[in-house]
Amino acid sequence: MKKYVLKRVVTAIFTLLAITLILFILMQLMPGSPFNDEKLNESQKAALYAKYGLDKPIVIQFFHYVINMFKGDLGVSYKISKNTPITQLIASRLPISIGVGFAAVMIGAVVGLLLGLLAAFKRDTVWDTLATIISVIGVSVPSYVFALALSYQFGFKLGWFPMLFSAKDVVGSSVLPSVSLSMFTMASIARFTRAEMIEVLGSDYMLLAESKGLSGNKLVFSHALRNALIPIITVLAPLVVDLMTGSLVVEKIFSIPGVGSLLVNAIQSNDYNVVIALSFIYSAMYIGIMLVVDILYGIIDPRIRVAKEGD
Amino acid sequence: MKKKLLSVVLASTLALSMIGCGSSAVNGVTESDNTGAGSSDTAQAGGATGAGNSSSDLNIMLETPVESLDPQQATDGTSFEVIADYTDGLMQMDADGQAVYAVAESVDVSDDGLTYTFHLREDANWSNGEAVTAADFVFAWQRAVDPEIASEYSYMLSDIGQIVNAQDIIDGTKDKSELGVTAVDDKTLEVKLNVPVSYFLSLMYFPTFYPVNQAFFESCADTFATSPETTLSNGAFILDDYQPAATTIHLSKNPDYYGADTVKLAGLNYQVIQDSQQALMSYQSGDLDTTLVNGEQVDQVKDDPAFTAIGAGYMWYISPNIQGVEELQNLNIRYAFTMALNREAITADVLKDGSAPTYTAVPMDFAAGPDGSDFSADQEKFSDVCRFDADAALEYWNKGLEELGVSEITITMIHDADDAPIKVAQVVKEQLETTLPGLTVELQQMPKKERVQRMQDGDFELGLTRWGPDYADPMTYLGMWVTNNSNNYGFWSNSEYDAIIAECTTGETAMDAEARWAALYDAEKIVMDEAVIFPLYTQCNAELISTSVSGIEFHPVALNRVYKNATKN
Repeated sequence: MKKYVLKRVVTAIFTLLAITLILFILMQLMPGSPFNDEKLNESQKAALYAKYGLDKPIVIQFFHYVINMFKGDLGVSYKISKNTPITQLIASRLPISIGVGFAAVMIGAVVGLLLGLLAAFKRDTVWDTLATIISVIGVSVPSYVFALALSYQFGFKLGWFPMLFSAKDVVGSSVLPSVSLSMFTMASIARFTRAEMIEVLGSDYMLLAESKGLSGNKLVFSHALRNALIPIITVLAPLVVDLMTGSLVVEKIFSIPGVGSLLVNAIQSNDYNVVIALSFIYSAMYIGIMLVVDILYGIIDPRIRVAKEGD
Repeated sequence: MKKKLLSVVLASTLALSMIGCGSSAVNGVTESDNTGAGSSDTAQAGGATGAGNSSSDLNIMLETPVESLDPQQATDGTSFEVIADYTDGLMQMDADGQAVYAVAESVDVSDDGLTYTFHLREDANWSNGEAVTAADFVFAWQRAVDPEIASEYSYMLSDIGQIVNAQDIIDGTKDKSELGVTAVDDKTLEVKLNVPVSYFLSLMYFPTFYPVNQAFFESCADTFATSPETTLSNGAFILDDYQPAATTIHLSKNPDYYGADTVKLAGLNYQVIQDSQQALMSYQSGDLDTTLVNGEQVDQVKDDPAFTAIGAGYMWYISPNIQGVEELQNLNIRYAFTMALNREAITADVLKDGSAPTYTAVPMDFAAGPDGSDFSADQEKFSDVCRFDADAALEYWNKGLEELGVSEITITMIHDADDAPIKVAQVVKEQLETTLPGLTVELQQMPKKERVQRMQDGDFELGLTRWGPDYADPMTYLGMWVTNNSNNYGFWSNSEYDAIIAECTTGETAMDAEARWAALYDAEKIVMDEAVIFPLYTQCNAELISTSVSGIEFHPVALNRVYKNATKN
């Protein structure tokens, strides 16, 4: 297991370096520049390029960036928050995105699981149909539509929750964005849970367990749900990263000072350093989560661990 | 009851998950919360916006976050607005946009107009108790031209302000200590200019010219103006809640401000809202006192007594690539285009935000001449070459086609991928194609930065663009069309025009205000006679301003909104 994890970590580091290089190249291909404001003349632009080292060859820029990155320096913002260290920008925003995203994951996973179980156990009843309808709506309607609808109904009309994010009422003002973000996760989990549970419930080993006299919660949770969880975790993992790194549109709607809205502004402003840093963090989180998922597989199903150790 | 139960369940789930995700999420926002002032005021329907610290705080919607609170680095209107809330320069604008004293209490101008001696008021202090001195201005202005700082608005001191040695310092050929600004003593600042600049005093309210306390700046190292702790106030308000790129900003009244008696608001509470529907709902629920309204929302709120249209200063126009496109070199074709544009229809039926049709190269309501009259009050002065006249447009079109020896022209217009430019471009296409048979206009929308880059590179045919004035003088527009100016997108060149502009900038005419004004009229006439641009409209912002609020000052130049004299009942 240790050897396997070490191998994955080393691969991850090289993957991240490759991603950084690709990001550097992509930034050069982006139309425009951080400094092509109408009011700047050519000599001013040249001065700004020199100030930020953007006049150097891309290879030099890349190595400088990587060396500084290992020192914990991700550079400064060129445009959206001029000269502010990106570590400072991200440090204040990432916890907010993670907080709202984690809440969305929790709501989506718990409600989705319950909905899926309900649909599986009450198969072909009105409950199953209802759960399916909710799932289809959750998957097919974009989160920003939920965001606008929830904001109008529960924020503006009923006044139950704040319409905009507030540092003074983090919990209250995170309800509507978290619920909006959770809908897709909830629907996906519900659909997979239902499908997996139906398959597991019809399997031979469940029949065997029942014939041995097992029933009730022990049968459902120790045998059925445990086996059904493996594919569900596979689905959940990328959703967790998506949600915890901020939703671009939902953050904009609720004025959440998270990393999602930061990335949108950075891309629109050609703020290269911010785009590269955030994309790097997204990649690192994604790779990290996938690593965790692999380890979780091993815990849930020891056969997988044994197989991989065998590799 | 069930709905209430649902809300409790949702809130509980969320609270548990927030606790579950560890302390970092909560700490991250609690830290910023600690810097905020006052108590929370979140009880009303619609909940909190992170705003509402005091009932007499003014709650203001911002479209975009602050880019920088460093006065010598900031370039955007939002940053200027917030900087000016807590910083005073030598001069400020009165309600009519005229320059009046702020930190300066008097100024002596030499007979030749080349030396300005500002006398600073004794009671102007920074919020750390230190006096505002002439040295603070010297330090700040030297920063503005320092090549290492690479301030984007350094040209306000060189090209526009004509301060001695500014250009050489920017170019790196002289040291910043040689800038033509001297602290004669703590309360006397002397500025030397290359040529007389008739609007020089009006530049003094532009944030690039605001003072910076050197000792405080150096104590902040690289973190200057990135938090309330690294910001010093000498203005009406004190910054007490701010993070870089924040969505909420709060300022409280500065009790030690020399004009504190006239400041009626307890504070300013900014909320960045990028979704227009959310902004309108926040206003309607009472969380905001002012908000912008987009064109689609105007019909919904136009009868509200709080609805108003405020001049934004920007002039929108179409720039033809005269040098790069053969068809656009033909003057008749250019006349046909500008006369086929129904500007009234664009502003009244499409924008609906109070924007004014414009038929001059310099927009109205921002530059007053020596006799106090608006440079562009007469919008019909160029009606022989710029008006909506479909018949005349067709006549010019046919003549132009004949001269070119073609019967059809296909032309591409590039524009920003934002709401208003997209709509305007579609209407422009329809108007041109309807009036001018054989014309096909293809539209290409793109991010603004890409559009600007392509226009600066000459990689376009027609470009829908805009320009906002930096200072209250027609030169802020007319200076763009001299040969090789980076904003002369069409690469148009006219030696007579260049000579007039040079004469008005550094020649004898620059010393005679009335002669200069007349010469600028002549220059504008050349631009219009040659159809160098097709003016469209001067932008207004549709806003809702609560009827309980009064005294907000709006200006098309430099500081778009000033709140120090506002009141809220």
